[in-house]
Amino acid sequence: MMSTTRCCCIWLAALLLAMPIAHAGENGVTIKADELKAEPFRDAKTVGALAAGDKVEILKKDGGWLQIKSAKGNGWVRMLSVRRGGARKTAAGGELAGLAGLASGRAGTGRVVATTGIRGLDEEELKAAKYDETELKLAESYSTSRAAAQKFAAKGKLVARSMDYLPDTGEAR
Amino acid sequence: MNSTVVKLLAGLGMALCLVTAHGFDLGQELKKAASGLQKPEQLAGLGGYSEEEEVAIGRQIAGSLLGAAPLVKDKLLQKYVNNVGRWVASQSERPDLAWHFGVIESDDINAFAAPGGYIFITRGLYRLLDDEAELAGVLAHEIGHVVRKHHLKILQQSKLVDLGGKLLAKQAGGDERVRNLVGGGAEIVARSLDKSAEFEADRIAVVLAARAGYDAFGLPGVLQEIGHAGSDSSVALLFKTHPHPDERLAGLDDAMGSRFDGVKGLALAGRFYRIK
Repeated sequence: MMSTTRCCCIWLAALLLAMPIAHAGENGVTIKADELKAEPFRDAKTVGALAAGDKVEILKKDGGWLQIKSAKGNGWVRMLSVRRGGARKTAAGGELAGLAGLASGRAGTGRVVATTGIRGLDEEELKAAKYDETELKLAESYSTSRAAAQKFAAKGKLVARSMDYLPDTGEAR
Repeated sequence: MNSTVVKLLAGLGMALCLVTAHGFDLGQELKKAASGLQKPEQLAGLGGYSEEEEVAIGRQIAGSLLGAAPLVKDKLLQKYVNNVGRWVASQSERPDLAWHFGVIESDDINAFAAPGGYIFITRGLYRLLDDEAELAGVLAHEIGHVVRKHHLKILQQSKLVDLGGKLLAKQAGGDERVRNLVGGGAEIVARSLDKSAEFEADRIAVVLAARAGYDAFGLPGVLQEIGHAGSDSSVALLFKTHPHPDERLAGLDDAMGSRFDGVKGLALAGRFYRIK
């Protein structure tokens, strides 16, 4: 029993540590042919070529790039050329996200609802929703001013830059 | 008189009520109306709603949504989300709107926008996020809907004519008028927008995130994550009202191309607020 608990703790700790990277060890499949690069940018040396449907192991994410291992070599590939696959990430509480609602209802609010199904927010529930002015006022009380948000951004070393909106390329393929 | 004309006239009546109430230049509006009477949606665009009316509509919807799913009772979380959201919204064409953001109690994976700058993300979706750039990306998609007034346009198209008639007959007061327009509950947020509106919000989202200094690939990262959630009931409504994440990723891939190659942004995983 002790060892199981400890094992869980270690596993959880490892998970939490891994979270910023989050993709380590995850599998994926390429959804289109793309070049494998030595580094995460377009002009980097091409070290291989992946075909659509190739299996890859995702090691790391850097902006729009994923560092991967594959049968055709290791390197960096554009993130949007890969579909991530595998198990869904574990939530911070250690529960599988898809199962989290099974037992918990709306846990954490002091309004735990004893339900057996996942507590969702479906159309019927939205249609039947009753206007709640108190909750709305509470939501409005958390607003941040533009100036305060700017300070918050500066604290995180976020620097605004200009960039044009993207043209409509005619939706998806 | 054919029915299209009747609808157009009813709509015009509604539009006039709105412009009169807010002291717009009627002569100008009539000229605009006369030049744009081909399509109902053009008529609906006549002057549009004032910001005040838009916010009143948004409040009604947001209050109903919160009636279905209250806020997660974590003040630090709510303040954090408002800081991130407001910073991203500051990069949009509507930086001075009174933006409100919140995390609501639901294990579903979804996010909602109401007119006037009311934006909510579910606990279920929040828990899937890895860093601040992903949160920024999700909020930026919803900000895109508000900036382009996607939900307002739906309301205008579906309810304007109806409302015009009621207004003329009843001279309904402010709140009642809004209730009439929005209908009961928060049904509007469960309604599908055009696919093109969703793709547009995605394209806006990556740009707003980049403008705010974030890694622009936050939203694509979240879409990839949701994409293999499969047919889990927690994504049922999201999948019903949005194109499949794979389709959205392909759309972003086409639109982003190599435009973001040299654009480095921050993910800020370190200060990302982990939900309890």
